[in-house]
Amino acid sequence: MTTTAIKYEPDLSKPLLHEIMERSGQNLPACYQCRRCAAGCPVGVEAGVTPDRLIRMILLGDREEAMNNLLVWKCLSCFTCGARCPNNIQTARITETLKQMAKEAHTEPLLPKVAAFHNAFMKATSHFGRFNEVEFMGIYELENTASAVKRGNLKIITDEIKASSRLGLAMIRKRRLHFRLARVRNLAEVKALYKKSRQQTDR
Amino acid sequence: MEIAYYPGCTLHASSELYDIQSKLVFRKLGVELKEIEDWNCCGATSAEKTDEFLSIALPARNLGIADASGFSEMVIPCSSCYSRTLVSQKKLAGDPALLESINAELTQKVSGKIKIRSILELLVPRAQSGLIGEKIIKKLEGLKPACYYGCLMTRFPCDMEVPDNVENPQGMEIVCSALGAKPLDWAYKTDCCGAAASVNDAEMSLSLMSKIMKDAVARGANCFVSTCPMCQFNLDAYQEEIREKYGIAERLPVYFITELVGIAMGLSPHEMQIDRHFTEATGLLKELELI
Repeated sequence: MTTTAIKYEPDLSKPLLHEIMERSGQNLPACYQCRRCAAGCPVGVEAGVTPDRLIRMILLGDREEAMNNLLVWKCLSCFTCGARCPNNIQTARITETLKQMAKEAHTEPLLPKVAAFHNAFMKATSHFGRFNEVEFMGIYELENTASAVKRGNLKIITDEIKASSRLGLAMIRKRRLHFRLARVRNLAEVKALYKKSRQQTDR
Repeated sequence: MEIAYYPGCTLHASSELYDIQSKLVFRKLGVELKEIEDWNCCGATSAEKTDEFLSIALPARNLGIADASGFSEMVIPCSSCYSRTLVSQKKLAGDPALLESINAELTQKVSGKIKIRSILELLVPRAQSGLIGEKIIKKLEGLKPACYYGCLMTRFPCDMEVPDNVENPQGMEIVCSALGAKPLDWAYKTDCCGAAASVNDAEMSLSLMSKIMKDAVARGANCFVSTCPMCQFNLDAYQEEIREKYGIAERLPVYFITELVGIAMGLSPHEMQIDRHFTEATGLLKELELI
């Protein structure tokens, strides 16, 4: 596997490192590149970036590369890297931080469907306080379609419709799709938590 | 005895069978699962990935309700809800400012006293004490399950006391052995199935599941057993696709741990809702003359 050289930005490395350490709660400088994380990462090979390499990018101050690589978007938060790290660094917390930073910087996500999925999940649960699969799929497919249209890629839309109708029909047959909307009675309380979250981000 | 119960959204929707099975099986074991009042979604992995505050605050509302319920323990069968609720409780125990900020929004405040239990933490001691053994009507002879734990039963985003071996857990094996089944030793029991990636990064997820499936088949398993509704759903609903794409001839039913306990204790396939699997699951039990 060939890898591109990581650019070292001494002036930029400190603020980037501190921001990510603060937000993710992870002690990145403790990484001594033993690569136990790389050996266990289920997506590292396909992403072309393993957890050790992501940590290196951050330590060297390569903000652009750290936010725009496939590991950030393919990371499944399976926590294998963190469970095996001799220095207790949980890289899944770092990829989560980087996803949030990419969103705040209005960077186009490398895997738009992953971003659309999590946005749709949060939007769907904010409406009734519970996750309703049918409502979620509606929001998710709309977000996907909007993003595919924006990128002029219409094949994604037809593939998506095929895949979700195949699954949806199988779910109906097995009585595993529910059309009744579940709802929290004290919805105001749940909404207050969402509101507090927005206030914190705005600050 | 009675115990607080948080089903989470999935057990009221696509994995309703797990909710039904859990209630019936524990009733047989003398435990009533009492669903807590007016719970909300825990935020699952999506909150964790996108919103640090909500990833703690959403489970906190449920913790407040559970703390006020008067019960000392709460069981959470879904691995994701279990993990997120535990993480929230731990975070709040160590961050008084955040606890105060969240409690300010809640009618039922988090006090931190409820003990969160996975479904295995309830089943394993009852298997070890012989209680499950006493209730068995039909030993599950011939059943060779690959016990599949997935990620969230033993790995957490922060330091956590894990009630089983992190890399090679044994809880499900202990329960299956008590039922008379022969669980197999295999290599992928704590590997990731991709969870939500089956929807948003399908190729990746199918490839991960194919490895899990191939190892289970190579070891001679005739079924999977799972405690996690995401793992169960993925291996069950996408199995046909995995088999086609990766040329796997075998077809393995994917049971919840609860339906195996139920069948062994004489609950009917109808009560256990075994016809609701995507990958046919009654054939094997009939073939082995277990139902």
